[in-house]
Amino acid sequence: MTAASLQGVGQPGGRAAGSLKAWQSQLTGYLYILPASILIFCFGLFPVGYALYMSTRRWRVVDRGYVGVENYLKAIGDPWSALLFVGGFLGLLGAWYLWTRPGSSRNPGYRVARIASLAVVAVSLWLIPTGWVGMLSAGDDRFLNAIPITFYFAFGSIPVQLLIALCLAYILFQKIRGQEFFRMIFFLPYITPVIATALIFRNIFSPRELSIANRGMQALGLPAQEWLFESERLLNLLFGTGFGGFLAGPSLALVSIVLFGIWTYVGYNTVIFLAGLGSIDPTLYEAAEIDGASHVQQLRWITFPLLSPVTFYLSVIGFIGTFKAFNHIFVMMEPSALGTVTTVSINIFNTFNKANQFGYASAQAVLLLVIILYMTFVQSKVLGERVFYG
Amino acid sequence: MADTQIVKPIGLSSARPRAIARRGRAVRYRLGRLVLYGVLLLGGIISLIPFAWMMSASLMTLGETVTRQLLPSVPRFENYVQAWQDANFARYFLNSAVIAAAILSGQLFTSILAGYAFARIEFKGRGLIFSIMLSTLMIQGMVTMIPNFLVIANRVPFIPLPGGSWLNTLQGITVPGMASVFSIFLLRQFFAQIPWELWDAARIDGSGHNLFLVRVVLPLSKPAIFTVTVFVFIGAWNEFLWPLLVTTTETWRPIMVGLYRFAEEAGSLMHLMMAGSMITIVPILILYFLTQKQYTEGIALTGLKG
Repeated sequence: MTAASLQGVGQPGGRAAGSLKAWQSQLTGYLYILPASILIFCFGLFPVGYALYMSTRRWRVVDRGYVGVENYLKAIGDPWSALLFVGGFLGLLGAWYLWTRPGSSRNPGYRVARIASLAVVAVSLWLIPTGWVGMLSAGDDRFLNAIPITFYFAFGSIPVQLLIALCLAYILFQKIRGQEFFRMIFFLPYITPVIATALIFRNIFSPRELSIANRGMQALGLPAQEWLFESERLLNLLFGTGFGGFLAGPSLALVSIVLFGIWTYVGYNTVIFLAGLGSIDPTLYEAAEIDGASHVQQLRWITFPLLSPVTFYLSVIGFIGTFKAFNHIFVMMEPSALGTVTTVSINIFNTFNKANQFGYASAQAVLLLVIILYMTFVQSKVLGERVFYG
Repeated sequence: MADTQIVKPIGLSSARPRAIARRGRAVRYRLGRLVLYGVLLLGGIISLIPFAWMMSASLMTLGETVTRQLLPSVPRFENYVQAWQDANFARYFLNSAVIAAAILSGQLFTSILAGYAFARIEFKGRGLIFSIMLSTLMIQGMVTMIPNFLVIANRVPFIPLPGGSWLNTLQGITVPGMASVFSIFLLRQFFAQIPWELWDAARIDGSGHNLFLVRVVLPLSKPAIFTVTVFVFIGAWNEFLWPLLVTTTETWRPIMVGLYRFAEEAGSLMHLMMAGSMITIVPILILYFLTQKQYTEGIALTGLKG
């Protein structure tokens, strides 16, 4: 990103007359970035180092001294199980690497690489649950359970949100009358303060018989639900299965929050998709039409590939966004959801603000940062390689 | 395929079937349009229903909200007066306006200077410093939140604050937000497009960077600065978690924290809560309707450039 974005900021004025002038220009540059740099250092960079430092100390409101990795062990439980768990995920990444590396099937070693890849996947799929069970038995349930909840939140929100937004943007792009009007309406939820809209949705998804969500259910001939108060998991609720833990999917309370999140962010994604569609060269479509390509073919071979950088950007932004989401979950959280909506961010806040365990909360925050970095890395590897940059 | 179409002798096909085909195509086109508008309309309704419900509920009596009437029998505008007085919204409004103004002026100052330097002045380590700044975008707020809280409480010896703890002060809420990598990036992109001939001409006239920035770059960059202004103002107005942490008293409590506390206290008085929510979003809605074109285009620009 940086290398590309620095292009075009050339400096023909570099040939300054005399070294004094050049030196002066350098100094001006440093002076100009000084105020921003000080603030970004103090409140953006330094805290990362300080959080690492705090995470190695027993720190409950006041610092009680160095404890090494105790806070981390408290979170993840048994380090060997954690190692198995992490190894499983690294294995999946490695398997993907093995699978895609040989490229053409004519390459020597193609079949070997594929078989090795499948073997690694099998081992990883054994490692992950084994490690997870080991971690759960010794670690902090609240923190560990928050991880799959966060993943449900992210994977429940982003694909749906992107799909709806893509459809809306594609429709709006068809020379629709009132394009700007619709764009403005769709964007409204994104712009409105999230605390206010979360309060509205707290009423919409209220367990009362006559709440808007339950009226909708009624209109569809379905039974009323508890919505934000429902801690029962989705699969158990739908099919009456008896899965324990996170195997049964997200709780209905989390689904309600996901729906609210989708409502909020669809407009933002639509606007960016629309801009992406607008930046595709129209002569490509004209050429395709002359060659007799159908609408579906144009969509498949022109629109999707040329839109892929935008899709990639939105999925990365969305992923980071759902992982740090706080405000609307915080407002919509009900005690009777029994912690089934407590994402990692919420859990960190509770550990810090309610339990006053500063050191332990910092350790959790560092672990969350590592998870996000890993996921962003995976996204840029797996999705990023499919992005077509013109 | 293209060839056959061109070679096809035009006069040979009779006119009638073609007219029918054309009409069929027109009907299909109309139907298609109808479906498209239907989808858009559905999306629009879903986007707007929560707002409609809020507006309606804010004018009801408590009894009507409990039985979930769709419309109030008589609109009660006095709900707004009562919510305004119950929650001390006047104070929160003023606080939020001052906070937003402080963050805005601070951020414009730091980002214009830094954006200009990164775009137009060559100095050693420019690329490196800029990449370090961009990399902080990857760090999520939960990591920095706890240390920042301690810094503002003046409990980190490494960063001593002038005048002791900044908890419950204006500077405690605003100073951490006075620089933004995002704003710097946006302004830098814009400043970089200004033609270098202007700089050469200005230098011949003997002006330096300061004068060039104020006299030439800023007037030319009004659209970009306007976009940043709207972004920053809306962001500051909607800010919740940080002020929640650093304000324990009402002195500098901003509107969103005030609304949250009000909802905690008056949770069952739904008509007042909806009136309160309505009050807090009105400034944002007005600002958005006035500037929505620049705003959405600014968003689209950042999305494509990112």
